[in-house]
Amino acid sequence: MTVTARRTEPAAPGRAGGWLEEPGLGVYVHVPFCLHRCRYCDFNTYEGLGGLHAPYADAVVRDIERWPGADGPATSVFFGGGTPTLLEPRLLTRMLGAVRARFGLAPGAEVTVEANPETVDEDAFAALLDAGFNRFSLGVQSLCDHVLAGLGRTHSATRALDALAAARRAGVEDLNADLIYGSPWETGPDWQTTLLGIVDAEPDHVSAYALTVEEGTPLATLVRTGRAAEPDPDVQADRHGVADEVLDAAGLRRYEVSNWSRPGRASRHNCLYWSAGDYVGFGAGAHSHLRGRRWWSVRLPRLYVDAVAQGRTVVAGDERLGADERAGEALVLGLRLRTGVDLGGFVRRFGHGALARREAALADLEARGLVERRGGFVRVAEAATLVADEVARALL
Amino acid sequence: MDQAHQRAFAVISHVDHGKSTLSDRLLALTGTVSERDMRAQYLDRMDLERERGITIKAAAVRMEYKAADGELYELNLIDTPGHVDFSYEVSRSLAACDGVVLLVDAAQGIQAQTLTNLYLAVDAGLEIVPVLNKIDLPAAQPDAHAHELAGTIGCDEADVFRISAKTGEGVPELLEAIVARVPAPRGDPDAPLRALVFDSFYDAYRGVVASIRVVDGRIEKRAPIAFMATGVEADADEIGVMSPDATPVDVLETGEVGYLIAGIKEVSLAKVGDTVTSRTRPAAEPLHGYREPKPMVFAGIYPIEGDDFPLLRDALEKLKLNDAALVFEPESSGALGFGFRCGFLGLLHMEIVRERLEREFDLALIATAPSVGYDVTLNDSTRRQVRNPTEMPDPASIAEVAEPFMSVMIVTPSEYVGTVMQLCQERRGQLKEMHYLSPERVEIRYHMPLGEIIFDFFDQLKSKTKGYASLDYEPVGLQPSDLVRVDVLLNGQPVDAFSTIVHKEKAYVYGKTMTERLRKLIPRQMFDVPIQAAIGSRVIARETVKAKRKDVLAKCYGGDVTRKRKLLERQKAGKRRMKQIGSVEVPQSAFIEALRVDADGGRP
Repeated sequence: MTVTARRTEPAAPGRAGGWLEEPGLGVYVHVPFCLHRCRYCDFNTYEGLGGLHAPYADAVVRDIERWPGADGPATSVFFGGGTPTLLEPRLLTRMLGAVRARFGLAPGAEVTVEANPETVDEDAFAALLDAGFNRFSLGVQSLCDHVLAGLGRTHSATRALDALAAARRAGVEDLNADLIYGSPWETGPDWQTTLLGIVDAEPDHVSAYALTVEEGTPLATLVRTGRAAEPDPDVQADRHGVADEVLDAAGLRRYEVSNWSRPGRASRHNCLYWSAGDYVGFGAGAHSHLRGRRWWSVRLPRLYVDAVAQGRTVVAGDERLGADERAGEALVLGLRLRTGVDLGGFVRRFGHGALARREAALADLEARGLVERRGGFVRVAEAATLVADEVARALL
Repeated sequence: MDQAHQRAFAVISHVDHGKSTLSDRLLALTGTVSERDMRAQYLDRMDLERERGITIKAAAVRMEYKAADGELYELNLIDTPGHVDFSYEVSRSLAACDGVVLLVDAAQGIQAQTLTNLYLAVDAGLEIVPVLNKIDLPAAQPDAHAHELAGTIGCDEADVFRISAKTGEGVPELLEAIVARVPAPRGDPDAPLRALVFDSFYDAYRGVVASIRVVDGRIEKRAPIAFMATGVEADADEIGVMSPDATPVDVLETGEVGYLIAGIKEVSLAKVGDTVTSRTRPAAEPLHGYREPKPMVFAGIYPIEGDDFPLLRDALEKLKLNDAALVFEPESSGALGFGFRCGFLGLLHMEIVRERLEREFDLALIATAPSVGYDVTLNDSTRRQVRNPTEMPDPASIAEVAEPFMSVMIVTPSEYVGTVMQLCQERRGQLKEMHYLSPERVEIRYHMPLGEIIFDFFDQLKSKTKGYASLDYEPVGLQPSDLVRVDVLLNGQPVDAFSTIVHKEKAYVYGKTMTERLRKLIPRQMFDVPIQAAIGSRVIARETVKAKRKDVLAKCYGGDVTRKRKLLERQKAGKRRMKQIGSVEVPQSAFIEALRVDADGGRP
């Protein structure tokens, strides 16, 4: 396979793919609609609420407009789902406009929208680029039709590749492909096929996730009743290794457990999450986190729309993290990054005590070869990447 | 009542052959219990017994019966425990009788345990009244089984009663036969008091209530008395009869059966088999046949929650008040924490104790594999008792290990003789005797190590004979055997809870089974964990739990953080509850599962 570097412009701020010393402010907008719900999906999304699209977008706009906070400008914006691109571009445009008006966008801000291949064409990409979206994340999942069918996806491999190509033709410069591996329908060669096909499409970023059987999903029922094999963690570990080799050879370097990017093309928004940064979420079931306070809105789109229309709060629950809880969470999140956590920055944000209390655990993890401390950073050892939760539990 | 009008008898029978139904029928026919008060199986005292359909503790009930001859008789029905673990108690119940009703299911015929008790009764010189029950059932074969019964006890087929305790058919005739055939007591009313304790239970309000039969002399209310075996002295605070509820009386005469309350705090001070005498005019000799209850089966019992240890101790002490055969002492296990090594009469006794601990005291328990008591002779000729496999000395220092053997009696349909013999050979049985009860049914006697019986032998016997064979056994002393201790090691660390003593030839199978089972139960760790079975330093089986390769959430973004943190916290809490064996973390559930004796092949 031959890979040529497409672009050489300097990386946007915070796009190197690592622990962010200044995480900034992220804004998240949730779009809880899908044409068809995939078998493995446990996200907050619903089929067949077409009539609610416009009222929902209105509600999100009003919810953004009434946001009382003074934080900003946004260093990144992320429209996730669901399938945001199921909404007409003008609705997405209105919502992004509201974000821009209320929070302001920092120079070079990353503005991502998720899309499913069957919902987008060249015109749609062009319209969204015009609206100000500058990063597109496409749910490809697999380039084998039988695997897509097993997962419950409604598009083909060809359709996914066409969508990637259409994005490029429209002028998209920041393109991510989401993949899923280790599903019951996928063989080793299937995964190879998917990886090689993706590499040929030359995305700037790849997120590849081991399939997780979530409670309450159709997939969980299939597994429980023996109609689908339970994913084998050893097989998934092997496939992660294959992904790392193939993608790395194509110039996509892993910067988080499940994320690879070309230099300077890491997801700013997701790095903010892993740096325990602040973000404000809008839409049904969206989560927010500001300085140790976390809250989330009602999950049902109808309730969200009604609450906003009646001027009521959409908050369904919240929690306030203790100082040490925040520190533990920051480590758990930050250690997912290949760079690990900057200990100096950690101490500045959470205090010496937060580190001192974990010194014994860190020393033990170090002795067991699970973490390394070098250059002022603490990181999960390369060989322990896939057992990072063992580290996370020790440092919580 | 005068001796000539007293009859004391027991019903000996197999589980489910209808003893309780017959007892109820007798209580109703004699008017001891009115129909209105009748509740099924009146004599079974505890819920547990009712559910299991067995009688654990003996009891006695007095009935007054006006016989066909116009005379009023006092009938004492003495209940007998229904399981092999309690054979000593059965023998004491029988010693309180002058005759027995041998009650046999007309569909199933006589069973091993009934045969054993029948032989006990014959040895005690008791009059035997043979009865076939359940003749109303379509499957009943009264002629065939009457023939078998007559052959077994040496009577005429015509003398075998045919009844249905359920419908009442034949029961009035049986009552007449009891009066006519069971002899009146022959004790000496003028001799010093000698009363046999044939049952003893603890009542939370009254203390120990002993069931007694006055063999010689008489006992009066408030009389100063002594228990001859234990030497305990007391006063007869209350004496009475059960008819069927406790009714105090002023005196129990020679031959009478009743109860005695003397302010005694635990049953081990008024044991079954002991003789009650008078302190003012003591008997020279106790009644013969007393025996200390002897535990045969041992197991470690541990609370699943370590904090429950004091509760477990209190619970055992409370059970002990009512169970002279239960013994226990504290022990600690690296794997299971603090618990007790308990001794039981047998497997059923063990199950009952365990169930009562869990049910009545609400304790969650884990029990080690049961073992028997071994007699170990060392090279320097010293001997020691080993009741816990971990106490077994170094193999090099052992001259000989002896284990308890049982005389096993099996009654089986003759078509299964080959299968049964094969099973017994596998369990190191030595054939002693084979005897055809009839062309269809065989009585087989083996000598077999108790250690083989306590692992699933009964279940195997039942499954290999489609449920038709029955089993009984009694101790016949110790025999030297080629026994070894098999240890199970996790990552090189022995796990005491899994050590066991087995015959040398079975060591490999045990090691293989246990290591395979553990391989499936022990979660993958950060490194390969070898699981080994070893005799001393020699490894006989090995499995490996491969190191885990993936333990990381695939995704973690802004909307997941709370949920994922909680998941990690739960996992962390679960990890803290795990037992640490060396550097290996083992969940409590793995011990419970590994120690479960299952149907597939006996030993854990």
